[in-house]
Formats: sequence, structure tokens, C-alpha cells
Amino acid sequence: MSEDARLLAEIHAARVLTRARPSAARPSHAALWAHANREPGAPVDLAVVRALRSDPEAARRYRTLLGAQAVAHALLAAAASDGALTRRRVGPFELEILEGTPPLLILRGPDARMPRRIEAWLGDEAVRLDLGEPVDGTILLALDPAVAEADRLGQMLRDPACAVFLL
Amino acid sequence: MAGLGITIQRIEKSQGVARRPGTGRRMTGGYDERCAADLAAVCDGRDLSREDRTWLARVVTGAVRPNRDKPLWDLAHALAALARGTEAASGRDLVTLALDPGLATAAAVTARFSGTVVADARGPVLGEAWRTSWAGLARLLALAEFVLTAEDLAQFAAVTGWLDELAAAPDAEGAAFLAKRLARHLSAYRNAHLPLAPLERRFRAILGFLAGRKAFTDDDILTFWRGEMEAGERPGFRTVAEHFVTFEAAAHLIGGLEGLSAPVSLDAHAGWEERLDAALGDLAAAEPAEALAALLADWPEGPKILTGAEREELTDLLRLDPFHRTRPLTTLRAASFGQVQSGIANRLRRGGGGGEVAERATCAEARSYAALQERAGALAAHLARMLRIAAALRIAERDGLDPETRAVLEAAEADLRRMRRSGFEDRAALARGFAAAETALLRLAAETGRLERALAGLARQRPLDAAFAADRSLFAAAFAAAYAGEAAA
Repeated sequence: MSEDARLLAEIHAARVLTRARPSAARPSHAALWAHANREPGAPVDLAVVRALRSDPEAARRYRTLLGAQAVAHALLAAAASDGALTRRRVGPFELEILEGTPPLLILRGPDARMPRRIEAWLGDEAVRLDLGEPVDGTILLALDPAVAEADRLGQMLRDPACAVFLL
Repeated sequence: MAGLGITIQRIEKSQGVARRPGTGRRMTGGYDERCAADLAAVCDGRDLSREDRTWLARVVTGAVRPNRDKPLWDLAHALAALARGTEAASGRDLVTLALDPGLATAAAVTARFSGTVVADARGPVLGEAWRTSWAGLARLLALAEFVLTAEDLAQFAAVTGWLDELAAAPDAEGAAFLAKRLARHLSAYRNAHLPLAPLERRFRAILGFLAGRKAFTDDDILTFWRGEMEAGERPGFRTVAEHFVTFEAAAHLIGGLEGLSAPVSLDAHAGWEERLDAALGDLAAAEPAEALAALLADWPEGPKILTGAEREELTDLLRLDPFHRTRPLTTLRAASFGQVQSGIANRLRRGGGGGEVAERATCAEARSYAALQERAGALAAHLARMLRIAAALRIAERDGLDPETRAVLEAAEADLRRMRRSGFEDRAALARGFAAAETALLRLAAETGRLERALAGLARQRPLDAAFAADRSLFAAAFAAAYAGEAAA
């Protein structure tokens, strides 16, 4: 009888559950996942971009998806620093900005699995760039002031509040 | 005020409303809001059919026999087969497949995988003697999305990590290991979000009350409810009637499960699985309740074919589907006295005074059965008139029609000219509005017609005024006793 009561309870819950019609969270998981997997510079779903800017809950869900597939990620710079930051750790990777003309982003890490992309988040702003091939376990990226996104990435990375996803 | 809070919690507890520890969120009907939202995200995102929605809800609540975890076992093997067949290099590729709303139907899944996954005439072959249909694979992908995204993605990274491990070694062993992990994962989810214990307790009480009977009468429902009221549980009459709806729908499964705990041959096990699955599947397919409730809840915007008040009345009369056609007396009791009781419960929840509770408990305000019958008739007539208008809007060319049909359409045109409802002015927009609502309208008109006939049948056997008077003294006595404390406060 107890097994019968259990099955009836499960069926009853399934019945009422299919009748409850809360509105599903927007954007959909699929739309956020597609955005998390986009090629840098590829066309984006503007509704998703708007939601990420205006809806903190959508942004949180997006970062959860991004974090799960990232080679490494850090939501804040590990070490507090006065003034601009030029060096930070993201998981097993070290990111360093070498000042110069143009400044260079140097990424070093274990050889096993190097990231292909970087995405940085500061407030509601995001930048995503391809990292290029590693040479001797090091990736070099020119933060060319003439390239808006690269320039912006350099500025964001200098802020300790900037979240970094290595993808 | 503290006393009031305790009273409210007592009422809610008796009605199967639990509160989630920590957040204190209300959980009604055996699930919490998180669970409903998690399920809605998957169902809406994939635009699942009603059958697939019901299947997924069943898997989530655990209404699967003989083994609740069988769908997860199937899922793990399906993912392993997909990892092998599509050369998914990492868990990420499997996540992409699971989250793809374009893989929600058998046709889409067939088109995508029939060339890459080993398959025969019946569908994909997932391993030695391990198979499913293409429709089954589409469902399993919906389940994959659920386990990945459950709890608003709280476990997304962990489950993605498990899929990474599977993609690295997509063999039978890897699939079995993933199946166990997923089973633990869903079991923990059920513990957190599906408080089934109060439901189980009530069904145990119903089983005890019926003492082995599978058939019951309207008066059994009333007697059981009165017993619970006297015992201090104070469940809503509607809530109790809802439990009987489920009991009736699943009664043929009862008793069949006991044998399953005994060791049985694999063949017998498979046979049981098929029977139960089919029975539960039928239950889902023959489960029109969510359709009626959903029809009314999701009524399309547009011309006012139904006003808000009419929709509420219909929801109230049809909420115990299929009882509105099979048990008109219980339908009347729920609409009349169930309404009074929920008024009392709401009043107490909002901190209302004792005088008003005492007043409501007398049932002086209860709607009489004759009045409810009249209302049901009026709503049925209104819906029938709307259906004829829908036909008139659709059929412009009438020359070839027989005179009788033409006359009906002409009468509908006259009705249409007399209608004073918003959205009925512009004929083109009206035609579009009716076209959008047509399926819902048809079904609702049919069900309301059946309610009307059931009530007429009841009235022939049992004069409604006498039945109402007798029920009123029973309900009033039950309310007066059960709410005496609050009424005197």
C-alpha cells in the first residue's frame, strides 16, 4: 500500500506540475549557450545581448554557462592591488600586460590545454577575442589601440573587478 | 500575529502546501516554484508536445516503474552512443546537442542522426540490446536539458564535467557510471524540490478509507473529507477532490506494484515495465486536465470571446476534469462549498476577523446548485453561440450550402451584430481572433456542453434544491467545528 501511495503521489505531482504554467526564463538556455559559444566578431542575437546588459539574472545564467565550459575563469583578480593591474592569475594561467607600443598581453600556462579565446566582463560590458596559437607555451596578443576591442580588453584587464573567462 | 502565522501554516500544511527550508517559499501540490520553472524552461524552450511534457514531468517526479531511474540509464547510454556516433570530443559538444531546441522531435532527431548513429528500422541502437525509438531519443535529449539546467543551472558545471568524462570514454562502463551519477543528482533534486510526503500521506489515508475498493462514490469523497476535517487536518474540499481525480485515473495500477518488490525474471520485469509504462502513458494522453486549465490560462489575446469573469467561472467548474462530466455532484460541491472554504482559508491567511470567519462558515453565501446549473447552462449557450459565429466568420461562400446550414449561419450573423464586446467591431480582425481561438473554443464548448448534460442528468435523479440544502447543513457543520477556534477569536 505504501508503494501504491508513493506512486499516486508521484503521478499527482506530475499532473499538477504539467498544469502549472510559469513563464520560462528568458533568454532560453539554448540562446545563452549559443552566445557563449559564438565566434569572436560573429553576428550575435541582439535580444540576448540586450538581456545580458539589462537583466542581472540573465547575465548570471550566462556566466554560469560560460564558466562551465571555460578552460579557466576568475570572477575577480586574486590579489588586491593599488592602481592598475598588470599581472593576474586565472586558474593555472598567468596573464601579464607588458606596457609598450602597442601593449602586449602575455598568457602563460600548462601546455596541456591552452585556451583559444578570452572573454572579459566588467560591469555589464563584455569583450571577446581570439587568442591565436601558443608558441613555447606562451600566447602573445597585441592590445593595439587602433583595434577598439583589443584596446578595450587591455583597459578592462587592468581593473581588478574584471571577470576573465579563458575558453 | 504569531498565532495567526501558525494558523496559516497549519492550514497550508493540511492542504499540502509545504515551505522550502531556508527560503520559506511556498510549495503547493508536491512541487516548488523552482521545479515548475525548471520544467517550464525545458518544455517551452523546446516547444514540447503535451505527451512529451507529461513524460518529462513524470520522470522528474519519479512516476516511472518498476525503476524510477530507468530513463536516466537510457539517457546515459544515449549520450554515450551520441558521443561515439558524432565524435563529440568533449562534454561541451554533448551539452550543445542537449540544449538544441531543434532536436525536440522524432523527425528532427532522425534527420540529424540517422546517418551518424547506428540504427535499425525501429530507431537508434544504443548498445548491445540497448535501443530506443527516434521519438524516445528526442525525449531523452529533453531530459538531458533538464538535468543540465535544473535548479536554474546550479549544477550545470558539475553535470558538464560528467559529460566531459563520458565523452573521453563513451563505453558501456562510462555510460553506467554516468547513469548512477544522474540518478543521484535527480534524487537529490526531488528531495529538495518535490515534497511528496504530504501527498503520499493523503493517498495512504484514501487507500485506507477505501479499504481495497477501487471504485468510489461522490459521497465517499465527502465522507473522507469530513473525516479529515474532524481529525484536524482541515484540507480543502477541492484539494481532496483533486486527489480522488488522480486516484481514479491511476486506480487500475494499484496493487500491481507489490509483486515487483519480489524477485522476478527479467522477462516478467520487462513485461511489467511495458504494462506500467503504457498505463502511465495512457494516463498522460487521456489527461485532459492540464489542457482545459491551460486553455483557459493561455487564452489568446484578441476579441473578448470570453471575459475574465467567464474564464474564471469556467476554470472553477472544469478544474476537477473529468469529474465535470462523470461526477457532477462533486463538481457542484467543489464549486459551491469548496469556494466557501477557500474564502475562509484566504480570509485567515490575510488575517481576517473572527466574525467574518463565523459568518462564512454558515455557508449562507454558498452558491446554490440550481444557480450553478443555470450558470453552466448560460456559459454552454454562450460558447455554442461563439462557435456558430466562428463558423459564420469562416464560411463566406454560402451558395452551395443546404438551407438549414444557411439559416444557422444567418442566425449567427444576427448574433454577431448584437454582440457588444470589445474587439467585435472590425470583422477582419475578429475573423483572425476567432481563427486563433478556434481549437480552444471547440474543446471548451464541448466540455461545457458535457457538464451541462451531466448536471441535467443529476437533477433528474436527485432534485438539486434538496441536495443543496442537505449538503449545506453538512458543510456548515464541518466548517463550524473545524474553524471554531478562529471564529471565536
